[in-house]
Amino acid sequence: MGGPLLEVRDLTVAFGPRDMPLRVVDGVSFALDRGETVGLVGESGSGKSMTALSVMRLVPEPPARIGGEIRLDGRDILGLPLREMPAIRGRDVGMIFQEPMSSLNPVMTIGDQIGEAISLHGRMTPAARRARVIELLTLVGMPDPEARIRAYPDQFSGGMRQRVMAAIAMACNPSLLIADEPTTALDVTIQAQVLELMTDIRERFNSAILLITHDLGVVAEICDRVIVMYSGRIVEEAPVEALFDAPRHPYTRGLLKSVPSFSETRERLYQIAGSVPPAGTIREGCPFRARCPLRMPRCAVEMPPMAAHGPGHRAACWATAEEAAA
Amino acid sequence: MSVLIEVEGLGKTFHDTSARLGPRRPPVRAVDGVSFQVMRGEVLAVVGESGCGKSTLGRLLLHLIEPSEGRVVIDGQDMSTMGAAARRQMRRQVQMVFQDPFGSLSPRRSIADIVAEPLDAFGLSGSRRARRETVADLLRMVGLPAAYMDRKPRQFSGGQRQRIGIARAISVDPSFIVADEPVSALDVSIQAQIINLMQDLQREKGFAYLFIAHDLAVVRHIADRVAVMYLGRIVEIGGKDQVYGAPHHPYTEALLSAAPEARPGRRSGRIVLQGDVPSPSRVPSGCAFRTRCPLATELCARETPPLVEVEPGRLAACHFASAFPITRRRNAA
Amino acid sequence: MTDTSGLLDPELDAMAEREAIAPAPTMWQTVRHEVFHRPATRIALAVVVIFVLVAAFAPWIAPYDPLQQSFLAINQTPNAAHWLGTDQFGRDVLSRLIHGSRNSLIFGLLSPVFAAVIGTTLGVSAGYFGGVVDRVVSRVIDMLMAFPELLLAILVAAALGGSFWNIVIVLTVAFTPGFARVARASTLAVKQEPYVEAAMAAGVRTPVIIARHVVPNILAPIVVLMTLWSASSIRIEATLSFLGIGTQPPNPSWGNIIRDGLNNMFATQWPILSGGLAITVVVLSISLIGDAVRDVLDPEAG
Repeated sequence: MGGPLLEVRDLTVAFGPRDMPLRVVDGVSFALDRGETVGLVGESGSGKSMTALSVMRLVPEPPARIGGEIRLDGRDILGLPLREMPAIRGRDVGMIFQEPMSSLNPVMTIGDQIGEAISLHGRMTPAARRARVIELLTLVGMPDPEARIRAYPDQFSGGMRQRVMAAIAMACNPSLLIADEPTTALDVTIQAQVLELMTDIRERFNSAILLITHDLGVVAEICDRVIVMYSGRIVEEAPVEALFDAPRHPYTRGLLKSVPSFSETRERLYQIAGSVPPAGTIREGCPFRARCPLRMPRCAVEMPPMAAHGPGHRAACWATAEEAAA
Repeated sequence: MSVLIEVEGLGKTFHDTSARLGPRRPPVRAVDGVSFQVMRGEVLAVVGESGCGKSTLGRLLLHLIEPSEGRVVIDGQDMSTMGAAARRQMRRQVQMVFQDPFGSLSPRRSIADIVAEPLDAFGLSGSRRARRETVADLLRMVGLPAAYMDRKPRQFSGGQRQRIGIARAISVDPSFIVADEPVSALDVSIQAQIINLMQDLQREKGFAYLFIAHDLAVVRHIADRVAVMYLGRIVEIGGKDQVYGAPHHPYTEALLSAAPEARPGRRSGRIVLQGDVPSPSRVPSGCAFRTRCPLATELCARETPPLVEVEPGRLAACHFASAFPITRRRNAA
Repeated sequence: MTDTSGLLDPELDAMAEREAIAPAPTMWQTVRHEVFHRPATRIALAVVVIFVLVAAFAPWIAPYDPLQQSFLAINQTPNAAHWLGTDQFGRDVLSRLIHGSRNSLIFGLLSPVFAAVIGTTLGVSAGYFGGVVDRVVSRVIDMLMAFPELLLAILVAAALGGSFWNIVIVLTVAFTPGFARVARASTLAVKQEPYVEAAMAAGVRTPVIIARHVVPNILAPIVVLMTLWSASSIRIEATLSFLGIGTQPPNPSWGNIIRDGLNNMFATQWPILSGGLAITVVVLSISLIGDAVRDVLDPEAG
């Protein structure tokens, strides 16, 4: 089949009164291909999680109003009746959340929970299901899976629970895996294990992974492409090397410069002035302009369009668009 | 530089003291025989994963938690043998900055009351007018307009609240500040602001930090020396460049190699440790790290490696540390 | 020097300026907003104030002596001379109600306030200090909780007699464990708050921490409980009086107005109706005020 696996066009998620809406996601467009890992990066209030939840239709409507178009494998997700969504979640799209404990049922064994995910999408004999559960647990690197299927979630550590979550997400070989801050609650040595697992899943099943994170280190580690969001909008999109080598949006530049590095030590960190604006509160012009060193009068009036800066590299900034044109 | 804080054999075991009936949970050995020194005006960072005891260690230094054994000597005075009144006066020397910028400020008090709390506690705030002026100066020092002092914390963003918490800590001019994960709850673009502020204040006022963190890049930036903890014990301690450059303990090396860096193309050569950190209520015999250690031998299960000097100013607790630094050994293999 | 340049950008500064013109609401503004912008609370407050005034000035307000009997005017229905009629002894029901409000309101307010003070002290000590204090207080609470307050009150009143102070003490003892339990649980929760630890770390003395950080934050449930139990207290006093061990006849309280009325129910219903209505109105008003106070104490309000 041609075309991208996931295509999001002009997605808008708005709350509040219609004449003064709070747009927490505003005109977001991107696409995802099979076998690709894309990082969706942003700070609190950037709309990154809301974008991902919209893809799963997990944003409650009302109060939210969702506009635009989301196509998964050519199917219009926003046009589907809500009752068809559970079949798509799980079979076509798997999800991994930040806090694995709250996503698992504490009174069911993990074997039953994974088994439930499998049987949601096709009948199976109990023996076949059990075999599949063990296969999945082995796949996600669970030691001694035969014994562990009878254990309850609280008997696992955070990293192991995240593996269980991954096993549930992978139960029906979904073509798209959405991971919302999957390693944020984990320690670095455990984070390394989970990142390795995700890379492994992608390679084995040719799944697409949409990784939502605030951690640029994680992005550099496993992503092929990066989408940077700020205050509900995409401000830059680029292949991972291009983004880290030559960022084109002042926000991305500031962010990369402000993160302390292992290899070189500086006297002082670069700092982006000001605070992160609450979602949707900046309604006109470029949302980053108040904190931007390249700010010009035009930024207050008009949101800059995405300008091309190389293959697959786009950024929404008046100043750097001029740089590129010059 | 003179010694400001001296910690000797500090340990803490938490026992299940709940009033309920039934079997007691096993005791948790949170901190075990920790010794180190902090020099005047120095930044000592403590790194480690959750449950390694780094937060408990910070609280032991302030006697927010009573140590089970060992002692903390501040400025030549032993906190454990001190009377209650003297110990309270000692508190002035040692202040704390917390991780949670939302929870650590009381929601019903004004910014002025929060910032002046340590001053009030030690009777240093003076007249009403003097107190407001002091608060105004402190707010300006942390980069907040003094006009904000009559507001409540809920009107501020996370980064601004952390500034308020820092103003509170420096209000009594301490010589030592324990900062427990001060930036890990903040947005990435705000972290740099707070780190810069903490560094600027430290250079200006000359106090020392115990900087507790799990973010190794942040530690690399701010610390002079680094202590690595695993299951309640210090496994390695030394100058920042030495520890980051050539770790002597296999855990330090794994930790450094696991930390993702904001720079693509570093994907190979990572050491991925297997398994999880054991529970602090069931610390393995001998070397606590042996269950995950790629170098573990039968000796490690039998004997706890002592923290010994492997280079001047550099200590590590590994049976193989003094023989050869880990990186050199791997390169040779 | 600390770099503060460009910390607050022009736009956010402008926002701050606008906010500065309208400063954060003061405590009094919050109180006014919560209390006076709700008609129900305003009415409730007025009702309680009126009842308190009536109780305070009872001898001057009451049209007759509440104890004065008259065989010429028994079991009257409301009329110009006796607005709420008379009872079987010809006593004026309105006057008895007015004088009875003294006993009922004193019971209704005194015991819950005493119990709140004692219970909160015990509960906060148990929750804050833990250990032996906690274990002793918790066991005593459990033991007292095992007795229904009414049963306890009846037992003590039967043993010691039904004097005014005996009843107050009994009700206080009966209510204390409830306050202690709520205070203990809330203290345990507040003690975990990072700002309490921050105060400890700053070197604040324990009594100051308790007074400044713990008590204000557990006050909301205590106040709600107090209003709840001032209602129960009036009710229990009425029950005790009804059973004949509360306020002793011929002295009036709302409880024994109802009791006396019950014996004479088929002759006139007015004593029961007016006594019952008085209790209902006061209890309802106190609960409404309790709700408003709770909202004022909520730091996120307004």
